[in-house]
Amino acid sequence: MAQAGNSGDPGSSRRCLATQYFTEEENNAIESLSTSERVVDLLNQAALLVNDKISVLKQVQELIVNKDPTLLDNFLDEMIAFQSDKSVDVRKFVIGFMEEACKRDNELLPKLIANLNMLLKDENVNVVKKVILTMTQLYKVALQWMVKSKVISDMEEACWDMVSAMKDEIVTMLDSDNDGIRTHAVKFIESLIITLSPRTPDSEVPKRQENDISLDRIAKGHPNIKANVLQEEGKLALDHLLKFMVHPAITSINLTAALGSLATIARQRPMYMSEVIQAYETLHANLPPTLAKSQVSSVRKNLKLHLLSVLKHPSSFEFHAQITTLLLDLGTQQQEIARNMPSLKELRKRHRDEAEQGAKKIKIEPLAEDDEDKDLEPTAAVAPKPSSTQNTQSAIDITAQFLTPLLSPDNVANLVLISMVYLPDVMPASFQATYTPVESAGTDAQIQHLARLMATQMTSADLGPGNLELQADEDQKAGKDGKSDSPLIKRRGTNLKPGQGQAISVVGAPAPFQPSKEEDTQARRRPEPIMPSSQPLGVSGRKKIFRLTDVVQQLPVDKMDKLKLGAVQRILNAERVVVRSGAAPVSAPPSLALSSNGGSLSGGNNPFKNIYGHSIHNCLWDPAVCNQLSRFTHKEHSHYTLLLFTKLVLEAPCITDSALEVIRRYCEDETRIYLGMSTLRDLVFKRPSKQLQYLHVLLDLSSHEKDKVRSQALMFIKRMYEKEQLREYIEKFALNYLQLLVHPNPPSILFGADKDTEVAAPWTEDTVKQCLYLYLALLPQNHKLIHELAAVYTEAIADIKRTVLRVIEQPIRGMGMNSPELLLLVENCPKGAETLVTRCLHILTDKVPPSPELVKRVRDLYHKRVPDVRFLIPVLNGLEKKEVIQALPKLIKLNPIVVKEVFNRLLGTTHGEGGSTAISPLTPGDLLIALHNIDSTKCDMKSIIKATNLCFAEKNVYTSEVLAVVMQQLMEQNPLPMLLMRTVIQSLTMYPRLGGFVMNILARLIMKQVWKYPKVWEGFIKCCQRTKPQSFQVLLQLPPTQLASVFEKCTELREPLLTHVRSFTPHQQNHIPKSIMTVLEANIKTDMEPMDTKMLSEVRLHPFHCLFLAFDTVPYHTVSKCFTGHAVKWRDCVFVGKTQQPGLLE
Amino acid sequence: MPQNPVRVAVVCSSNQNRSMEAHNILSKKGFNVRSFGTGTHVKLPGPAPDKPNIYDFKTTYDQMYSDLLRKDKELYTQNGILHMLDRNKRIKSRPERFQTCKDQFDLIVTCEERVYDQVLEDLNSREQETFQPVHVINVDIQDNHEEATLGAFLICELCQCIQRTEDMENEIDELIQELEEKSTRTFLHTVCFY
Repeated sequence: MAQAGNSGDPGSSRRCLATQYFTEEENNAIESLSTSERVVDLLNQAALLVNDKISVLKQVQELIVNKDPTLLDNFLDEMIAFQSDKSVDVRKFVIGFMEEACKRDNELLPKLIANLNMLLKDENVNVVKKVILTMTQLYKVALQWMVKSKVISDMEEACWDMVSAMKDEIVTMLDSDNDGIRTHAVKFIESLIITLSPRTPDSEVPKRQENDISLDRIAKGHPNIKANVLQEEGKLALDHLLKFMVHPAITSINLTAALGSLATIARQRPMYMSEVIQAYETLHANLPPTLAKSQVSSVRKNLKLHLLSVLKHPSSFEFHAQITTLLLDLGTQQQEIARNMPSLKELRKRHRDEAEQGAKKIKIEPLAEDDEDKDLEPTAAVAPKPSSTQNTQSAIDITAQFLTPLLSPDNVANLVLISMVYLPDVMPASFQATYTPVESAGTDAQIQHLARLMATQMTSADLGPGNLELQADEDQKAGKDGKSDSPLIKRRGTNLKPGQGQAISVVGAPAPFQPSKEEDTQARRRPEPIMPSSQPLGVSGRKKIFRLTDVVQQLPVDKMDKLKLGAVQRILNAERVVVRSGAAPVSAPPSLALSSNGGSLSGGNNPFKNIYGHSIHNCLWDPAVCNQLSRFTHKEHSHYTLLLFTKLVLEAPCITDSALEVIRRYCEDETRIYLGMSTLRDLVFKRPSKQLQYLHVLLDLSSHEKDKVRSQALMFIKRMYEKEQLREYIEKFALNYLQLLVHPNPPSILFGADKDTEVAAPWTEDTVKQCLYLYLALLPQNHKLIHELAAVYTEAIADIKRTVLRVIEQPIRGMGMNSPELLLLVENCPKGAETLVTRCLHILTDKVPPSPELVKRVRDLYHKRVPDVRFLIPVLNGLEKKEVIQALPKLIKLNPIVVKEVFNRLLGTTHGEGGSTAISPLTPGDLLIALHNIDSTKCDMKSIIKATNLCFAEKNVYTSEVLAVVMQQLMEQNPLPMLLMRTVIQSLTMYPRLGGFVMNILARLIMKQVWKYPKVWEGFIKCCQRTKPQSFQVLLQLPPTQLASVFEKCTELREPLLTHVRSFTPHQQNHIPKSIMTVLEANIKTDMEPMDTKMLSEVRLHPFHCLFLAFDTVPYHTVSKCFTGHAVKWRDCVFVGKTQQPGLLE
Repeated sequence: MPQNPVRVAVVCSSNQNRSMEAHNILSKKGFNVRSFGTGTHVKLPGPAPDKPNIYDFKTTYDQMYSDLLRKDKELYTQNGILHMLDRNKRIKSRPERFQTCKDQFDLIVTCEERVYDQVLEDLNSREQETFQPVHVINVDIQDNHEEATLGAFLICELCQCIQRTEDMENEIDELIQELEEKSTRTFLHTVCFY
């Protein structure tokens, strides 16, 4: 119990420990239990999930592969079940899982390999690619596994057979028609070659792959794996890869991948260094003609990169001369090369090591040497070192060796002189792009390089001593090897002549390799023990990329020779014509002859052949056609030469870029536009393969600065736009240009590549129009495009908007207001495009009255979405009277020009021409009345006054009659409109002869007690003042109080009126009431009675004055009473009575 | 691969202007995008052409911002550097160096040839592991704000085209050539492997 003294509470601490222990154990138990349960749970989840299967499956993989591999076997089948999942990603994941599983437990290989084999034939390329990646890893795993096991069961053997079969399958995928699959196949082959070759001391070994299997790790007498057979397979794979690389139609990406793979192979397996360098050389001299310009620079960049990486490798020492020359040719700086050279010291050491090991190597690697013996050329220079590189001397080497001593200055000078004849007049663009000055001219290294370059070309053409020797060697080998009709060796044989691909195109096809029937049956007999589904699909089922050799029949040798000879002679003859043609302006282009011979050269009637041949002859073509074409541009042209131009272009088998340039220049020449463009059009239709390129030229011209060029181009494009297959491209082009308007500044694209304008230049009307020409031309044909304009318009800056509004008139009018798309635009009216929509509406209704459909959309838009009254203006004439009157207060508040426009529309005064003017819902009179009745709370008086002024300005519309009616109607209103008197005065000023009528109005206003309306009263007085003396009679009718108030406001009226009264006859004067006289005589009495109709009979006025008062307001008999005793005839009244009901006058 | 967003990396020299402009636009368009620089340092314009502001890749955009704000607020406001840094720090905290990133991409877009070379050199110097291909495309963009914006639009178009393809690897070649023709620029394009 000593412990008790030390620790305060031993019991509890022990308990703690114990519980801790128990819990831990329990946890473990739960964990191990739950791992498998969790896996089950997760798998169930995964089966049900639709979207996120992968993350669940990933958890499963983590659990059964890494956490508890014992579970791997249990759940394998469940996991594999997902390989038939619909989702590509799930399938890819399962493949990854299989890879991990096999790596973790090699025994799973036989179970899984058949599944992988099945997936290798999946319909989705991405799945296939994933399988290839996995097989890149698993091939090594499988080999290792086979090597390790001492006794091999049937199952294991079957598994290995299947792995091998899959390997072969992947190798043949170099012929796949999918670029990505080919790239993956290249990488698989790279890894395959490295696995199937021995690691040597000078091999570069990446850390990760230190433990990877390679041939040197396979014991010589291994019962199951024959190392020498495998090495042979590895070499075969390399041959495939090399052959793949010289295919003339290889894509740049495949080529890039292959270049990289070769560099890796050279560094990790220096024994293949010579093949690699040679392949690089061949490639450099014969870049595939199918590559685009930028692809050429990408590939050259890659080549340089890989050459430098190979240069760093010590084993490249023997090839330094070749590599350096290549690098210099690729434009590498001398310093950069020097920087990448392994240091001399290291090299020397390496050298020594190699020499020492050389002797051993033969013993160590008997199989390697064995094999190489077969390849040994009898004439190969026997090097003291057993370095493998020296042994595999190819036809190029031999020919180069043969050529080197021949390249004396004299011979070279002769060669140059001879070749001068064949040089094009203009340096081809492709040459210019890749040319780098020869830095080391005249040195031995350069001479050797030149020799090699020539040798490469010669070998391609099946010429030179190397070729002959090789041929002989091959024959010999074939004889020696009883079973050498095996396709593999034959393939190798042909492959020793890289560059053959090009050779085909120039002088015809050598015998293509045809898989023998025997091989086919062999393939079918290949054991596929695990899954029946993995039966090969049959060779014919797989698509292949187009290969000339596959489709061309071989001609009999003698016939082929004859054709070759004939062809060459024809070419030569043709070239001679070119030389002479300086004098003859319209001679047949020599290359035409060459091309027409192209077909017969290849001996088949296959159309591909023709095209193919032509693309090869690009470099020949270019100068010839261009010369010819340019000549046309310079010379005076008769009708005949014009015809010939089109004919020449259309019959030329290939239009090179510079030829296209010439045609373009033609199109830009104002005198030849039509010819150039119709030729271009014919090209588009007759050369579907490159039609987009030609179309592009035409599209470019559609924004040309010369009007004539542009309009012509647009005309052609519009016609092409009707063609379904070109439609999309044209449209895309137009929209792209349109899209440029979104930028705050015009993108440099608009200025052409040559004009170096700073980007910050602002938009000008011209640049904006440039973006629009094509679009606007297409618009009337495809109304749907209008929405694109609306979208761009909303984002564009104000200057652009202005220009857009200006230029759309023509096309919009072309579309017409019945276009459903336009109606849709009006209906939707995107935010920010209101002005555009308004403009469209204006254009549409400018000459034609709006259609009910259009009116309906605008009305909806106005009422439901954008309550901007400006929308209504264009369709005013389509609206109802009530609606117009409702909108009027808002309309007249707009800026004066707009208001003017509104009135023009309403009054129909815009377009005097044609009877198409819409019938306005409002008569001019209605309008003026409506203006008077505008609620002054809705609109300020000033605007209303201005608006009425606009009316008055239209003298043709507002005739005296119209105004009279207006006044009449206004006067009848109750209460009186505020502006009534203003209008009366205005009318009077315009039409003085309305004076009488106005007096009538004034008199009637007195009846209506006009003094109760201050404004009108004011006007009334003003009117009286203006119309004196006529108005005196009216004034006299005023009740005394009012008369007094008139004099108050306008004192100067009193005197004349008094004088007027005094001038009356005494009889007449008697009729003036006393009260009035008092006012007149300035004795104001305030208790006067207002005048009523009764007074009328008492007041004896001058008959005329009575007359003015009488009509309408007073019953007939009263009036007639007034006339009693006066010599007035009814007829005299008639001139003012125009507006009266005739009944009154009877 | 429409169901699988293309993993894009945009690379320029300092991970400030061109790559960030593109990063900005691409992420707005919903791309799975990251951005990097390949330089040894992050360089920003200084008071004179021979006196740039140099930071290492650990410095956050925010720190650079405060630093420049302190040094000469007017100058760096006027030449747009502060604005740029402000934009950048909203996207991520600090510039990233391409060479130190081990994540895999499907597409790497570089903004000038020198950067393209550096990316290629780095990718080729890595040990190959999965053989997963990555396409590297160079789009030449001058290092100023305006060109960066235009360039970013071009890159965005490129990415959209690629995202739209059924089988990217099979169509990319043609696609790039079409885009070259359309934009009248040339793009370097190659494939590397992880």
